[in-house]
Amino acid sequence: MPVVDIDTDELRRLTGHEEKEDDQLKEELFGLGLEFEGETEDGDLQFEFAPDRLDRLSVEGVARSLRYHYGDDRGVDVPDTNDAEWTIQVDESVPDERPYVAGAVVRGVDLDEDALDSLIQLQEKLHATMGRKRAKGAIGIHDLAMLKGERVEQREIGEGNDLEPPEDLTPVGGDEGPTDVGGPTITYRGIDPAGDEFVPLDADAGMTPAEVLTDHPTGEEYADLVGEYGRYPAIYDELGLFSFPPVINGQRTEVTTDSRELLVELTGTDQWTIDRMLAIICYALDARGATIEEIDVVYDDGAAGERAGDHLVRPELDTRQKTVSHDRIETTLGIELGMEDVTDLFERSGLDVTTNLGERTEYEVEIPPYRVDVLHPSDLVDDVGRAYGFGDLEPEYPDIGTIGGRHERSRLERATRTALVGLGFEDLLNFHLSSPAENYERMGVEEGADALGGGEAVEVTSAYSEDYTQLRTWALPSIMHVLENNTHRRYPQELAEVGFVAEQDDGENTHVAEHRTVAAAIARTDATYEDIKGRLQALVGEFDADLETPATTHPSFIDGRAAEVVIDGESVGVIGELHPRVLVERDLEVPVAAFEFRLDALAE
Amino acid sequence: MRLPERQVAALEAASATDAQPIPDLAAEAGIDEAAATTSVFELEEDGLVAVETETEETVSLTDEAREYLDAELPEVRLYRAAVEAGADETPVSMGQVIGASGLEGPQVDIALSNFARKGYGEIDGGEISADPDADPDSDAEITALEALDAGEAVDDDSLLDRLAERGLIEREKRTVRSVLLTDAGVDALMAGVEAAETADRLTPEMLISGEWEDVEFTDYNVEADATEAGAGKVHVLRQAAERVKDVLVGMGFQEMDGPHADADFWINDALFMPQDHPARTHWDRFALDVDPIEDLPEDLLRAVENAHREGVGPDGDGYHSPWSEDFAREVALRGHTTSLSMRYLSGAAEGDLEPPQRYFSVEKAYRNDTIDATHLLEFFQIEGWVMAEDLSVRDLMGTFEEFYRQFGITDVQFKPHYNPYTEPSFELFGRHPETGELIEIGNSGIFREEVLSPLGVDCDVMAWGLALERLAMLYTGAEDIRDLHGTLADLEFLRNAEVIY
Repeated sequence: MPVVDIDTDELRRLTGHEEKEDDQLKEELFGLGLEFEGETEDGDLQFEFAPDRLDRLSVEGVARSLRYHYGDDRGVDVPDTNDAEWTIQVDESVPDERPYVAGAVVRGVDLDEDALDSLIQLQEKLHATMGRKRAKGAIGIHDLAMLKGERVEQREIGEGNDLEPPEDLTPVGGDEGPTDVGGPTITYRGIDPAGDEFVPLDADAGMTPAEVLTDHPTGEEYADLVGEYGRYPAIYDELGLFSFPPVINGQRTEVTTDSRELLVELTGTDQWTIDRMLAIICYALDARGATIEEIDVVYDDGAAGERAGDHLVRPELDTRQKTVSHDRIETTLGIELGMEDVTDLFERSGLDVTTNLGERTEYEVEIPPYRVDVLHPSDLVDDVGRAYGFGDLEPEYPDIGTIGGRHERSRLERATRTALVGLGFEDLLNFHLSSPAENYERMGVEEGADALGGGEAVEVTSAYSEDYTQLRTWALPSIMHVLENNTHRRYPQELAEVGFVAEQDDGENTHVAEHRTVAAAIARTDATYEDIKGRLQALVGEFDADLETPATTHPSFIDGRAAEVVIDGESVGVIGELHPRVLVERDLEVPVAAFEFRLDALAE
Repeated sequence: MRLPERQVAALEAASATDAQPIPDLAAEAGIDEAAATTSVFELEEDGLVAVETETEETVSLTDEAREYLDAELPEVRLYRAAVEAGADETPVSMGQVIGASGLEGPQVDIALSNFARKGYGEIDGGEISADPDADPDSDAEITALEALDAGEAVDDDSLLDRLAERGLIEREKRTVRSVLLTDAGVDALMAGVEAAETADRLTPEMLISGEWEDVEFTDYNVEADATEAGAGKVHVLRQAAERVKDVLVGMGFQEMDGPHADADFWINDALFMPQDHPARTHWDRFALDVDPIEDLPEDLLRAVENAHREGVGPDGDGYHSPWSEDFAREVALRGHTTSLSMRYLSGAAEGDLEPPQRYFSVEKAYRNDTIDATHLLEFFQIEGWVMAEDLSVRDLMGTFEEFYRQFGITDVQFKPHYNPYTEPSFELFGRHPETGELIEIGNSGIFREEVLSPLGVDCDVMAWGLALERLAMLYTGAEDIRDLHGTLADLEFLRNAEVIY
């Protein structure tokens, strides 16, 4: 879950509540769902929260939530923006895999160390969450003063045989005509991996993007994101390449506490995602008194993705509307509320509301652009509940009559386990995951062999540990493993397990055949076939089933002392004395007699 | 007086005047030594004999000592060689004397270390001088060894200590118990003792013949610890699962069953988990190396895809995440047993369900992670849900309070939370029944419409889940989950685990 580092002095300043003690803040933040986790080396407090309210990934966002909570702010607030001067041109060479871009200019920023830290934190945390580790969306922040926009006269919106203007095409600067251009422009394009050089952050020489991926620590970390691309993402101004998203920015435009004007750019695989990330950043900078200025984003007709030919104005800070009924709120919370109460609770959640009195009372709720978590009216009901205080609701046992009961398979397992314990066996609970060494090799069984346990294993695609790479095909190896690990413990050791096994089977819908197995072993100085057979007879007898044990051979057992387990005429398992080879393999110094068979053989 | 037979024999063999060691007494009484010892202590308890305990020492010669008896002590050989070389007048080089003495190997060190100690002379600066007055023929140590060899006693304790230190003798102490009749014993014998018939064990023959009526049973030490019986026991985690199942069945819940290896569709997509959710990445899911699932209900598949892409309802938004049917069809080990809930709610498991319903499972789920003291790759998830026409957060709270109350956890707290599949969602916290610590005991919520609507459910469903191990660790006090679960299990821990009821 995301963790946000909060400098509580900053928080007090931003909320305007200098009087709040740290402990009080902790308690109030817990109420908002931010749980105190500890302190950083710098004395910041760390709070963990569920990854829905990503607008709280900065001290500015947390302060905003608190101001609503205190009632200092109410309703939706949308930052003012100035009209666009800058343009981001998306060239037709833009990488197919990462065609989308968004951006904003921010003026009048006053970044002290704390504010800069907070901005960097927000950027990194957004990368980690919505940005899916920069794969889906990545943010670059630049010192605008270091950029020199090209003056291009090539913006041909609305000219020639172009498409209909797309829905979200907004003419630049309102009443200005689309050909009245000439503002500074930067270009997002795709370049040959070794096509150009720039000096990345934390480096002292020019490198090509390909060199960054192999020779720069940040490049190595994110190399997988773009390594397979045919053309690498790159952003240019008139002076050349200055950003290699989503990997690293150039040194030229590095942001410092002296920076007064910023260019924020985002690239990604989804326009909506980077638009929302940008909105969260703009809200945070606005909270620090900066002015947000729009940017025109012009997609070339030949650019990849769904936006080819589009002209967007970013940041997109439009609110959205959703309608939720009064009934739904009352049903979900289980209480009666007045309309004024509901309106109040919405406003204290930072939402605007219009009440529709019709056949049924509904609320038209206006949602600010940073609320990326609201997908459905139920999310608004949750906001009302949180503002009301879920903790203040009185629990009530629902008046619903249903009949309880166990699944048949679970009852059969229980009965078998009880019978085994009655026969003196210690009931085990082993892992379903195993390895070829345990499941086959150490038992002397070959995968694919026509013997119990020889079935083809279902393998895990990416296992962390070589001890757990497949599902076990039988349970006896697990019991043998427990015997091996407990040679220092008291004998006799009489162990049993009723458990899950699986093997590949193309006759199954999932291609995995799953079943339950019954396995048991007796390890003691004088354990013999007769001892284990006696237990098996008793067990099968308890289920009133017929048992036969015709001789067989099995690679884990001594020839001449192994038999098939045939229950009610069906061959379902094996019983015998374990082969000395198998015992020595596990450093056992006592003989072991064992059986294993399918649990369903005991069912009616 | 009637006494057990072996006691009578021991008493009759004992003397009032000459204390007899127990082995002698046993021989005389004609019983074995162990029986004699037991009998003597029993008689002592009755005051009929007195037992004297003495410590006796035996001294025996070592092989090394026997060598010296044949060939003189090394230091004496060194002295004789030194005198031969004129060292009684002027010091002679050590090498020359040792060479002449014929001493070899460890004997050289032995000779040198004892030579000066026993006053045969001095060693200084690599030269040996011999004391002309020393008399090797009356060496006290060899004399003592000769005496011991002849079976004579040597009383000089410090001399014996020295010989033991040199490894020439072994001194062994043992306790000798001797038995003497007491006055009461004498009186008893005078008055006459008879042997009573006694038995160690009740036998079938005794019961059949009626002999048991004339027999006196020997007393056992009924307080002594016995060899512990090796009883089998249901695994402690299974016991905990049974307990949970009992509670849930009692609350009207039906048990679910279903596949461990399942399509990502049932595990995640049906739960409205976006396909690019971090928990669904390559490393976190337990993908299996098998072909994709064959059959998925086509209508359901489309409805779920649509929920992901477009959302549900007129005001619903979808995820801005990629969605592919191929991914949905991939087979993995279930990361939670909520896949069962999806199968049941969709009707795929047991046909369409009409409200009200309550269902549960206590089954394994899998997590591709590294193993440590509190995390395994496999764990049991308690999963439960309630379906009814209208369910509120208060119903949810009431249900879970009741459930946890059964386990002694009261004062359950509901912390608002976020899950992709429920809204509202709550993390449940409760006080540890013993430590009073506030611990997380579950995750719950009301299923979103994006989950229920594609499944064809048009009423409310509230659900919750928690790890069984969390409850079981509260019960057993286990600090390392690996002791409890899996092939690394410690049998002793399982054998000693307290039962759960």
